[in-house]
Amino acid sequence: MSFSSSHASPWLAGSDAPEKTQLKLGFVPLTDCAPVVVAKMRDFGRRHGIEIELCRQPSWAAVRDKLLSGEIDAAHTLYGLVYGVQLGIGGPQADMAVLMTLSQNGQAITLSNQLAASLRGVGNLRQALECEPRKPVFAQTFPTGTHALWLYYWLAAQDVHPLKEVRSVVIPPPQMSDALARGELDGFCAGEPWHAVAEARKVGQTVVSSSEIWPDHPEKVLACRRDFAALYPNSARALTMAVLEACQWLESVEHRREAAAWLSTDSITGAPVDLIAPRLLGDYGGSPLRQPPRPLRFFADGAVNFPYLSDGLWFLSQYRRWGLLREAQDLAGIAAAVNQTALYREAASALGIPVPEQATRSSVLIDGLSWQGEAAEAYADGFAIRAAD
Amino acid sequence: MLRVLLVNDTEKPIGELRMALSVQGYDILAEVATPHALLAAVEGQRPDVVIIDTESPSRDTLEQLAVMNTHAPRPVVMFTQDADQQLIRAAVGAGVTAYVVDGLAPAKLAPIIEAALARFAEESRLRQRLAEVEQKLSDRKLIDRAKGLLMDKRQMSEAAAYDTLRSQAMKQGAKLADIAKQIIAMADLLG
Repeated sequence: MSFSSSHASPWLAGSDAPEKTQLKLGFVPLTDCAPVVVAKMRDFGRRHGIEIELCRQPSWAAVRDKLLSGEIDAAHTLYGLVYGVQLGIGGPQADMAVLMTLSQNGQAITLSNQLAASLRGVGNLRQALECEPRKPVFAQTFPTGTHALWLYYWLAAQDVHPLKEVRSVVIPPPQMSDALARGELDGFCAGEPWHAVAEARKVGQTVVSSSEIWPDHPEKVLACRRDFAALYPNSARALTMAVLEACQWLESVEHRREAAAWLSTDSITGAPVDLIAPRLLGDYGGSPLRQPPRPLRFFADGAVNFPYLSDGLWFLSQYRRWGLLREAQDLAGIAAAVNQTALYREAASALGIPVPEQATRSSVLIDGLSWQGEAAEAYADGFAIRAAD
Repeated sequence: MLRVLLVNDTEKPIGELRMALSVQGYDILAEVATPHALLAAVEGQRPDVVIIDTESPSRDTLEQLAVMNTHAPRPVVMFTQDADQQLIRAAVGAGVTAYVVDGLAPAKLAPIIEAALARFAEESRLRQRLAEVEQKLSDRKLIDRAKGLLMDKRQMSEAAAYDTLRSQAMKQGAKLADIAKQIIAMADLLG
């Protein structure tokens, strides 16, 4: 129990102390929940005046409901889920807040052995799918989530319409391998360790990493209700600082090995450490990937964690593209309200972590199209494959 | 007649609602226990209401259907402070979630939720009480260990050790068990 004065938070003084000190943090058992697990295990909340309680959730729907009911204060969640709830797509609407990005990369698409072989044989996905005896079935994890959008983007980039030419379903990730083995699925997009599990069971092959679809794409975020951030700004900042320190801690290989052991415990994922550690450390073994995947990143000197407005805006652009959001709205205004850039700046600056000057970044995705982080509506309109109007 | 699908894929036996709902005249579809069967049932048999354990991993399967298919049941919005939402809040407390098709009047859902409450609310209260008892027991153990440490290392009497713990707890505005935890952690650290 040491209190290092050199790291003591200036916010603890006077009225900057956290308004709420016991924070319940939801997470879904995945390799990339590492930042919240590390924040808890290393007790990074303590010197910021908070105590974190981890609450494992069995589904993304449960994460959403418990955030909205107040049963949990904040959560490790899919970037897209936050924006889906903000817009009320397919469920309740609530004003949401992204406190920081927790991770980039680290997701993948795994195909059944048969489809993977067929793809290797004919060389392109469209033709490989045409050989399938039924409409191909692909699974992801939540209708407005990141995996749905990586899958749709990847299919469309290969001239396959994700809403017309495949059946898109959601299967709980721990059951993906069984579904592949039983022939119910032709492929799935999800987080780790579920691809490593499918390969270890020899029921499928990882053919593309999410970093090939969008290099350094945003993935999970630390999210809460907007009124939580407004009512308890000091708690929200303290939590952001604690989790940022956890992300920083995860930079070292030794620490990641240590984290892999924690992640494999029954109270977190319950998956064997041999299936978590390699991909957490960037080793994809013999997977038939076209490109070596970019590593699952948690920090990169803060480059991962800034809640770029352009990242939030990208999800909105894809909801327009796929008809999940039917009416045109002030998309940039929505992203600016959801992503708590000011709060993040305070938290990162207090820790001496660099904050980017620009709140947008640009990227080139797998189809060669560039995303400049603005004019989301025109960007969405520019895709040849999109939902019918 | 409302068509009701029961998802029975966790330790909470949602399927046991079949009897109670059947006698009330609902059309209870064959229950499902896997996401695959759930997909087939929702797409093939068009239920008006789906009842599922709040903690079921298959809920996201339903969420996808709700977004992709306008005829599929959607999650019941349950967070308004509206008085007629009390029933839904009670259902959440009992760990039961309903998905209903668009346009279904809340009054029509009420008897189904009531049947779920009759079956599961008591169980959920019992479980909560059990958890509280277990928590108290484990707090007791921590406090006893911390008392023992104080008695051993500081040669305090049992009463003095307890008083020390209590006054620390009051001073820090913390629970007795938390102070006990601190003392045990400190002792572990200092050997």
